[in-house]
Amino acid sequence: MGLFQNKPQAKQQSTQDQAAAIEQRFMDENFREELRNHGRLYFEKIIEENGVLFRKDLDATVAKVDTELKEHITTQLDYAIANMNAELKEHVTKQLDVQLTEYTRSIKEAQDIAIESLNHSVKTVQEQHQQLGESLERDVTMLSRKVADQEAILTNAFKENADRVLAMKDAQAQTLAWLNKSVQALQEQHEQLAALLQTNLATQEAMLVNTFQENMAQVIEHYLLGALGEQYDMKAQLPAILQQLEANKQEIVDDIKL
Amino acid sequence: MNETTELNYAEFVLPPSVISKVDVSRLVTEVERVDNEFTTIAARDKAGASQQATPVLSAMMEDFLTQNNLVLNDDKIRPALIKQMRLMKDRVPIIHMTFAGPTDSESLQQLSRWLRTSVHQQAVISVGLQPALVGGVYLRTSNKVLDLSLRAKLEGQHGLLVKELEALRG
Repeated sequence: MGLFQNKPQAKQQSTQDQAAAIEQRFMDENFREELRNHGRLYFEKIIEENGVLFRKDLDATVAKVDTELKEHITTQLDYAIANMNAELKEHVTKQLDVQLTEYTRSIKEAQDIAIESLNHSVKTVQEQHQQLGESLERDVTMLSRKVADQEAILTNAFKENADRVLAMKDAQAQTLAWLNKSVQALQEQHEQLAALLQTNLATQEAMLVNTFQENMAQVIEHYLLGALGEQYDMKAQLPAILQQLEANKQEIVDDIKL
Repeated sequence: MNETTELNYAEFVLPPSVISKVDVSRLVTEVERVDNEFTTIAARDKAGASQQATPVLSAMMEDFLTQNNLVLNDDKIRPALIKQMRLMKDRVPIIHMTFAGPTDSESLQQLSRWLRTSVHQQAVISVGLQPALVGGVYLRTSNKVLDLSLRAKLEGQHGLLVKELEALRG
């Protein structure tokens, strides 16, 4: 064995490591993910193409089945309807015949009963009519007699009342005329009196007011003189006089300076 | 400067006791009397007659002399004083005041004091009596009349009184 005994092994080892390293370097997680994505896309594309083809086939099959089914159902329905019509017609005809027979019998019985009842009623009505006629004749006779009596009484009463009303109207008219005259006379007197009274009242009031107004100042003056004359001495007045003089001072001064 | 030329009636101050023009006339008369008496005394002195007492002055004259710082025993002043007082008597402003009732001297002095302080220092009052005034004063100066009486006030309120009575009458 020499110095390089282990050398080739090392080289081989190195190559495997390198391959592993390269593989490791190329087949990293990103590359794998990219590969997965690529595969996923390819698979989706294949699925989509097959789906389109499958849909077309399915549509064609469904259309065909639909057409055939329609034809079949139509045929079956036509047949069933024809059978049912025939059976129904026969059944209805039978039933109608039975019913018609029954109705005819019932109607005949009812007609007989009705005719019998009508005959009985007619008889009864005829009897009642006869009785009513006789009664009415009697009543009319009595009523005519009473009406004649009442008419005579009313005529007499009306004549008497009419005479009384006429007499009363005359009396009322006379009384009314007298009352109207009295009222008119009273109104005239009242108006005259009111006018006279108002005139007198106004005259007296004006006279009193004028007299009072004319003499008022004198009356008050005399009253004040009587009331204040003896008590209102000079000393009591002096402050007020001085106040008034003070108020008119300027006028006095101006006149003195002239 | 001569003393006679210093006297001027316009500067005289009248005391409150001098109320009317009659009082001023009395003052003038009194000054004249006193002057005569002093002249008599002087003549008698010259003749060697018996001594006579100095003239007696009224309270009003005393007040006047005191207020104006005057003396009457100076022979040189008296003639000028008499002259000025006569002038004053003729020129004092007279204010006629009519009252409703009798007046007393105290009230008149108060009025004359007011007149002399407010209107004119030599103003005098001429007093009148008119009961119809009821109250207040009826004042008359040379050119103006001021009716400050109660009668005038009542007359002024006559319309108002009539109006109120009419209102009461409805």
